[in-house]
Amino acid sequence: MEEHNDRHLDSPKVVWDGGRAVARAKALFGRGAFLSNYLIAFLLILTLNFTLPRLMPGDPFQAIYGEEALLAMTPQLKAQLVERLALDQSMGQQFLAYILALAGGDLGHSYYYNQPVLSVILDFLPWTLLLTGSALVISTLLGLFLGIESGYRRGKRLDKTLLAGLMFLNGFPDFFMGIVLLLVFGVVLGLIPLSGALTPYSGLSGLPLAIDILHHLLAPLAALVLVRVTSSYLLTRNTMITTLQENFILAARAKGCSEGKIKYRHAGRNSLLPVVTATGLSIPQMITGALFVEIVFSYPGVGLLLYNSLLTRDYPLIQGILLMVTVVVLAANLVVDLLYSRLDPRVSHAR
Amino acid sequence: MHVSIWREVARSNVGRAGLLLIGAMVLLAIFAPVLTPYTPRENTSTPAFSPPSGDHWLGTNDARQDIWTQLLYGARTSLSVAFGVALLSGFISVLIGGTAAIFGGLYDRFWMRVVDATIAIPDVIVIILVAAYLRPNVLFMILLLSALSWPGGARVIRAQTLTLKERMHVSAARTFGAGPSHLLLRHLIPDLGPILVATMIQDARRAVFMEAGLSFLGISDPSVMSWGKMMQYARVFTYLEVWKWWLLPTGIALSITLIGLSFIGFALESALDPRLRDREKEHDGWI
Repeated sequence: MEEHNDRHLDSPKVVWDGGRAVARAKALFGRGAFLSNYLIAFLLILTLNFTLPRLMPGDPFQAIYGEEALLAMTPQLKAQLVERLALDQSMGQQFLAYILALAGGDLGHSYYYNQPVLSVILDFLPWTLLLTGSALVISTLLGLFLGIESGYRRGKRLDKTLLAGLMFLNGFPDFFMGIVLLLVFGVVLGLIPLSGALTPYSGLSGLPLAIDILHHLLAPLAALVLVRVTSSYLLTRNTMITTLQENFILAARAKGCSEGKIKYRHAGRNSLLPVVTATGLSIPQMITGALFVEIVFSYPGVGLLLYNSLLTRDYPLIQGILLMVTVVVLAANLVVDLLYSRLDPRVSHAR
Repeated sequence: MHVSIWREVARSNVGRAGLLLIGAMVLLAIFAPVLTPYTPRENTSTPAFSPPSGDHWLGTNDARQDIWTQLLYGARTSLSVAFGVALLSGFISVLIGGTAAIFGGLYDRFWMRVVDATIAIPDVIVIILVAAYLRPNVLFMILLLSALSWPGGARVIRAQTLTLKERMHVSAARTFGAGPSHLLLRHLIPDLGPILVATMIQDARRAVFMEAGLSFLGISDPSVMSWGKMMQYARVFTYLEVWKWWLLPTGIALSITLIGLSFIGFALESALDPRLRDREKEHDGWI
């Protein structure tokens, strides 16, 4: 019976068809405009990637390829590189060569690893995806749960404790949270491994391997979740507080709905949409958080790779990683944007 | 209206805690030379990795430098970057958001497109990329961080200005022939105060975080003393006991600054949001 309760009113029927066509054209235009934002952002990163090394004083090879390349430099290699980067031609043609190479999946060559940049990154990427993905899911679910419970008991002791505690945890930068966990559970208590994603040369497989991976994942994951859970928690809590003042909650109470049903099916469900959206939009922060946490735990993901490439000044690798992360971040945001206007019709009308 | 919001922040527990933490940090940074006899780079005569003592409150590091001194001077860097970014980014936000709302039309649409495109850029990546090549000092870091953080503020300021514009006293002033600059300075900015400060605090918090993060990655100007850099160096020595007075206090100082800023921001935001007020006129800032 409760199902009928939060049903929306039927929207008024559109009578004049021309108006609908105009509205659709407008929506399409709006969609194009917001797609172009992503395009502009992407082009800006490409331009920066291209321009920065060429602005640097001194030998362009050093700026573009890093010191490792200079050690391995032979006349043939030099000629080959000049040709590949079109360094003997105008800036416009160099840019064109750069874009064409990228379009062919060529992110350059890392002379430190002596491998194409793309294959180096792909070696490290799975661990980052595992860490970021699980942190995203767990912090969202935990935030939803805590937010619903806390918002429902607003002003009570549990609510105050949760609010103050999570606000406090959110103040920590991810890498310091990681350091604290590493020091307490790794160095002092010796409960967690100090580095890596699995025990090397252990020859494990099947379930023991999964447990080993989980054992290594636990602390970095906890560091990320502890810091990042607050945003979805606060959002859920705020939505709960506003929703609980609505009339349909009063109606549900009057009908004699159980507490649990009111909490989760009537009020909690309203937080789902904003929280899922916020989660999608927080993907960039989660990825950057993961990059830093990986460094602390020497977790072999893209973050550790980035750190090492910064230390060795392996510029092609730095550029490749940052470009790759940009693509992931922009794609994730785009998907969220599209999904959101599909899920919540109010958004596409507002555009 | 704005007077009561400031009062509410100062009276709420969270706001008070935040102001206290930041106030303490600012005092430490300002009086750094008074609070320590050393300079941050000075190689003292005490052996390396000495534990805390009367002469060296937090012991010494691997290069026989006084850690307490480095901590104090690190606060100067962090807070100057925070302050600089908050001011510059807040200024640009008001300038662009405010004028866009007042003038409207093509000018407004142009700036909002710029804002939308800039917000879509993953800023951390751009900052790391630029820093990897240029190793920014404090001034350059302020410029870099502000360039990427003003659009969020500009959007908020624009929305707020649009609603304020319709207020009675603004239209009265306009009837008397007030120009855009008079409207902006005399009528809009005073009412924008709380929301402007809220965005500035957010920017400042982000700036502290990014400055520490970049130094932690080792891609800021090596001659600048910074908490992030101290943590980067200290992290290598976790097998010694030295982390207790080197790594931990530095991280705590950084976290206190960040927590202080987010507490003030939270108290301000919950005082600003009418939906979060209770019937008893309390808000969440009280906790």
